Amino acid sequence: REVSVGPEYGELKLLRKLKSDSQKELRILLLGLDNAGKTTILKKLASEDINHITPTQGFNIKSVHTQGFKLNVWDIGGQRRIRPYWRNYFENTDILIYVVDSTDRKRFDETGNELQELIDEEKLCGVPLLVFANKQDLMTAAKASEIAEGLQLQEMKGRTWQIQACSALTGEGVQDGMEWVMKTVSKTKKK
Amino acid sequence: MARESNQLERVLDGFKLNWMNLRDASSGKVLWQGDNDLSKPGREHEAEVPKKILKCKAVSREINFSSQEEMEKFRLEQRVIFKGKCLEEWFFEFGFVIPNSTNTWQSVIEAAPASQMMPASVLSGNVVIETKFYDDEILVSTSRVRVYYI
Repeated sequence: REVSVGPEYGELKLLRKLKSDSQKELRILLLGLDNAGKTTILKKLASEDINHITPTQGFNIKSVHTQGFKLNVWDIGGQRRIRPYWRNYFENTDILIYVVDSTDRKRFDETGNELQELIDEEKLCGVPLLVFANKQDLMTAAKASEIAEGLQLQEMKGRTWQIQACSALTGEGVQDGMEWVMKTVSKTKKK
Repeated sequence: MARESNQLERVLDGFKLNWMNLRDASSGKVLWQGDNDLSKPGREHEAEVPKKILKCKAVSREINFSSQEEMEKFRLEQRVIFKGKCLEEWFFEFGFVIPNSTNTWQSVIEAAPASQMMPASVLSGNVVIETKFYDDEILVSTSRVRVYYI
């Protein structure tokens, strides 16, 4: 099923909803192993071509201004060489989005360990977490529930979290995840 | 002191602006892309952009750059200048830059800026997108792109 995630259903519309609740800048951090689909998710949200995406060798930042409100999404490369630098981008994060390739079973442990390190990180303490169980369009994809179990999300304390099955390729589920992000942010910003 | 200036030289030598593009942010379609030597100092680049971009509800500007050296306080200042007057400006703090990295920054502006109120014939050739990159207070690179609406 082809799902449209153009801006009318994408970031701009979501931001418009959020605007009345908050005037602050919003910082979203997108992490996960290499080839999980972080950049594809980012591009899909803006209806951009996703056919020529290469491994991110640094960061991709998207800054959106709408009627005085600012959203910054930081997509940082997931290659092993780059992961030690993730910590330079933790500060002031409002939402952490962690992307998992649901077909990459042989690296489920590795992605679980990386996520655990993020969860233990002081600078990310209490930051709401959205896990995207990506690549659900593929036959071999593990279910979101299975991934949630593998990542031991249930055992996490003191943090709002959500897991969302999605396919960055078709767009399915991406929007639902972002809706959760916006809803969660407006709740926490009101406090 | 000698060591510091060496370091500065390495940062400047190792920095490259690879490409820049303009998109209709509603459709995600690229309306212009420039990718030749954007960081060559002192040179002004020209972009021929379809004038329908002025009717877009949201426009995105994307810039791609590489750095061989690590930087701690990287930031940019981007201005859209019409006949010497600043129509729009963005300040953005990247903070840390990973050594041997290639990075992109994309800005999307939704509400109609002043430039979209004026006709293409008035704007064409008179609009310059100027992007200055700094590591803290040190100017690392400048790019100037003059926009023609065709």
